[in-house]
Amino acid sequence: MGQREISVNERDATVGIIDDDDSVRRGLGRLLRSAGYQVETFVSAREFLEYGDIDGLGCLVVDVRMPGENGLDLQQGLVAQGHTIPIIFITGHGDIAMAVRAMKMGAVDFLTKPFDDQALLDAVQQALKRER
Amino acid sequence: MQCENPGMAKEATGLRGSSLLRTAALALLVCVGYYAGANIGFILRFPPATPSVMWPPNAILTATLLLTPPRRWWIYLLAALPAHLAAELGAGWPTSLVFVLFITNCSEALLAAAGVRWLSDAPMRFDTLRRVAAFIVAAVLLAPFVSSFADAAAVTTLLGEPYWLVWRTRFFSNILTELTLAPALVMMITAGLVWLRGASRPQHAEAVLLAGMLLAVGIIVFAGPITVLDAIPDSPRTLLAFLLPFLLWAAVRFGPGGASLSLLATALLAIWAATHGRGPFAGLPPAESVFTLQIFLTVVAIPLMCLAALIEERQHAEAALAERLRFEERLSGLAGAFVHLPSHAMDEAFVTSLRQVGEFFGLDYLMLLDLTEDGQDLVVAHTWEADEVKQAPQRVTSQDVPWMIQQLLREEIVVFSRLDELPAEAVRDQDSLQRQGVRSNLAIPLVAGGRVLGALAFVTLAAERVWPDGLVHRLCIVAQVFANALARKETEDALRASELMKSAILASLTSSVAVLDRQGQIVAVNAGWTRFAREHGATSDGVGVNYFEVWQQAARPGTPHMAEALAGIEAVLTGSLPEFALEYVSRTVVGERWFAMAVVPLGRSEGGAVISHTDITERKRAEKEAQRSRQELAHFTRVSMMGELTASLAHELNQPLTGILANAQAARRFLEATPPAFDEFRDILVDIIEDVKRASEVIQRLRDLLRKNEFQDVLLDLNVLSRDVVKLVSSDAVIRNVTVTFDFDPQPVRIYGDRIQLQQVVLNLLLNAMEAMAECAGGDRTVTVRTRNTEAKTVHVSVQDTGPGLRDDTQELIFEPFYTTKSDGMGMGLSISRSIIEAHGGVIWVTNNPTRGATFHFTLPWANGRSV
Repeated sequence: MGQREISVNERDATVGIIDDDDSVRRGLGRLLRSAGYQVETFVSAREFLEYGDIDGLGCLVVDVRMPGENGLDLQQGLVAQGHTIPIIFITGHGDIAMAVRAMKMGAVDFLTKPFDDQALLDAVQQALKRER
Repeated sequence: MQCENPGMAKEATGLRGSSLLRTAALALLVCVGYYAGANIGFILRFPPATPSVMWPPNAILTATLLLTPPRRWWIYLLAALPAHLAAELGAGWPTSLVFVLFITNCSEALLAAAGVRWLSDAPMRFDTLRRVAAFIVAAVLLAPFVSSFADAAAVTTLLGEPYWLVWRTRFFSNILTELTLAPALVMMITAGLVWLRGASRPQHAEAVLLAGMLLAVGIIVFAGPITVLDAIPDSPRTLLAFLLPFLLWAAVRFGPGGASLSLLATALLAIWAATHGRGPFAGLPPAESVFTLQIFLTVVAIPLMCLAALIEERQHAEAALAERLRFEERLSGLAGAFVHLPSHAMDEAFVTSLRQVGEFFGLDYLMLLDLTEDGQDLVVAHTWEADEVKQAPQRVTSQDVPWMIQQLLREEIVVFSRLDELPAEAVRDQDSLQRQGVRSNLAIPLVAGGRVLGALAFVTLAAERVWPDGLVHRLCIVAQVFANALARKETEDALRASELMKSAILASLTSSVAVLDRQGQIVAVNAGWTRFAREHGATSDGVGVNYFEVWQQAARPGTPHMAEALAGIEAVLTGSLPEFALEYVSRTVVGERWFAMAVVPLGRSEGGAVISHTDITERKRAEKEAQRSRQELAHFTRVSMMGELTASLAHELNQPLTGILANAQAARRFLEATPPAFDEFRDILVDIIEDVKRASEVIQRLRDLLRKNEFQDVLLDLNVLSRDVVKLVSSDAVIRNVTVTFDFDPQPVRIYGDRIQLQQVVLNLLLNAMEAMAECAGGDRTVTVRTRNTEAKTVHVSVQDTGPGLRDDTQELIFEPFYTTKSDGMGMGLSISRSIIEAHGGVIWVTNNPTRGATFHFTLPWANGRSV
């Protein structure tokens, strides 16, 4: 798409977004698309798990608190299944214990809502690099 | 024995139960009389014919038997035997004839007495035509007729005299004797003394004059030397006509007694004259003369006796009528005396009435007895004694006369002429009465309305008294008048007592109470009302004025309750409302006060209503105070509850803020791109606007809950309210991993109440439910909020969790203030929830679920139940 960030990320990576809040999910999607990424959005962990090409995604932006299975449990499940997809957690109110647990499990970043666009983009970029 | 049937009253006769001495004396008298009579009979005899012209012994025996009870007849007949023998054995007759003659004489007397007893209702009296006729048929005709056959047969057999002559002479002589002597004797004995004592001086003089003139004319007629009086030659009987006026005089003026005495005198005179060959029959052969004389006297005597009886009967009837009129007059006077008397004046009237009754019936001593309070005894309430009574008996009590009191309480009359007539079980009564000097008594229970109220006792002290049916009957009527008066007094006393109680109750009330009639006119007020009226600037207590007018006069602009109050009173008075209540504020001279007005209908046929105003200022003040502190406390707990929700609320605000920020930054990036991508802008702005609204709603809800509101009574749908509250905690629920589900009534669940306070209750229950499940490891964490319209016209809200449930002993405690199981809780949440629900007229409680967890419930009155 010829945008500046894309020069940093040399490939067309697809970012998955899992958040139950419609407005947040759509807003993040637009933000990432404005930075030149492909975006797949999911309302819940379950919807995400039904998605066929998990490993085709470059990274995941996951809300921690969701009805049903929450973000941390999803991460644990993915790790257990051998998926190595990098995860960026976003949360309305995070605590240290939660962040530590997420990072130990291999999370790329732990962002507290609301967050600046650059913080997210940096985290995504870092995640995509890590996968590489 | 009921008062209505005095015929069953035992009638005591003065002669029954005579002592032996009296019987003996009478027997002696019979003996002497028989002897004297036999000798007189001998004197009045024409020597050739054995039977006399008059034969007194038989009539004397007849009179004796009429005066005595049959069971003693044999005594008097035996007593006559010596007299018979003494008189007749000296006449030179064979002894056998003397005995036979005694038997025939006795049989005549027996036949006569038995016949009269059988035919007459009062064998001793000759005062009605029927009684005289009974006497004439049985004693005058039948007895001599039958007995004369035997007599004549004996005389003929033993002396050889001609049978029919003897029969005829004896028959007619006995007719004459029975006719003149027997009634004279009986009446002299039964009524002679009474007449002598009771008759007035002119009556005595008249009797003497009559006797003198009859004697004088009799002597002239029967024995006088003057023959010029024979108006018609060869008709010597004409002279006899001169006697008739005197005999009629006797019959008319002195009744059967006078008639029989006059006849006796005339007969004796005539016979004496005839036996001495003088008088109108002197010219005839002696036997013929006697017969003529007998026929003449008999023919005169029978109608004369009948006439006398008729006149007597008529006089009796007149006297009885006059007496009855007098009695009825007295009775109506008596009844009237009680009618218009107030209860307290009745006692005096009772005393007066006792005197009147006592004097009217000539009684010695009267007692009016009252039933005691317990209804078990009778006590003397009033007495009266005649002036002649020197010493009135002491008041009797049930200890003195237990049997009599029991009889009276059983509605039985107690009557006795003599103390020994009392039954054996009344021995104690007998002793007491004897000591008191009571000779005879009639006590009648006073019965009204089917129960005994007292008794009326009539007592004689001077002499024994017979209580004939007629008298008992009349005294029963008198007693009924007293009974009615007693009943009225009792009713009036009860009414007065009830009135006193009512007015005491009314006076004791601090509320002001007034009774209105159907038109709204004040009929009665209590002391509180008078005070109330004064405080409202009235000059009088208002009795007699129209209540509506009072209110209209008192109406000032800006008294909104006035029209409502008037309409309410009117509705109760017309019956369109069963009752009416109103709370209103009023500016009185002592400041602003609150009153509760209640109007209830007066349950009487004329209608009306009772109105009360109760000063509820203090209550109102306390209510306001309580409401204010409840509000403060509610606010305080709401604020502290917000503390618990901070995390959830932060999340709730973060969500839209995150969305806004992400969208806005995305827009900026699209704008900076070349070429700028404007096509996303519309969607971005829509999302931003939605997020801003969401954020402001959260803040609005927060502000609502934190605001310190006055109580606002508004129509609410608990479905909507509950859903709003759940929104507040939805983030919290997500954080706590709790699912909140709804089970709402499809119909709106409407109530009246304060929105904020009720939200607080639901919020408190939701938070408690989520808190309760915090300990549960994973699994099913569900809170179900349920609303229902119930058939009992209430709404039912419940919040069910799947936590550990409550221990049984804490189910009541958890609503108490400062009770908490949480380390950081104040224990005020449920307590304030309860006070909010109760202030809304509802109930709150908790139950444990059958499987697990607890459910909190509350009910509130239906909005439809309230009239607005």
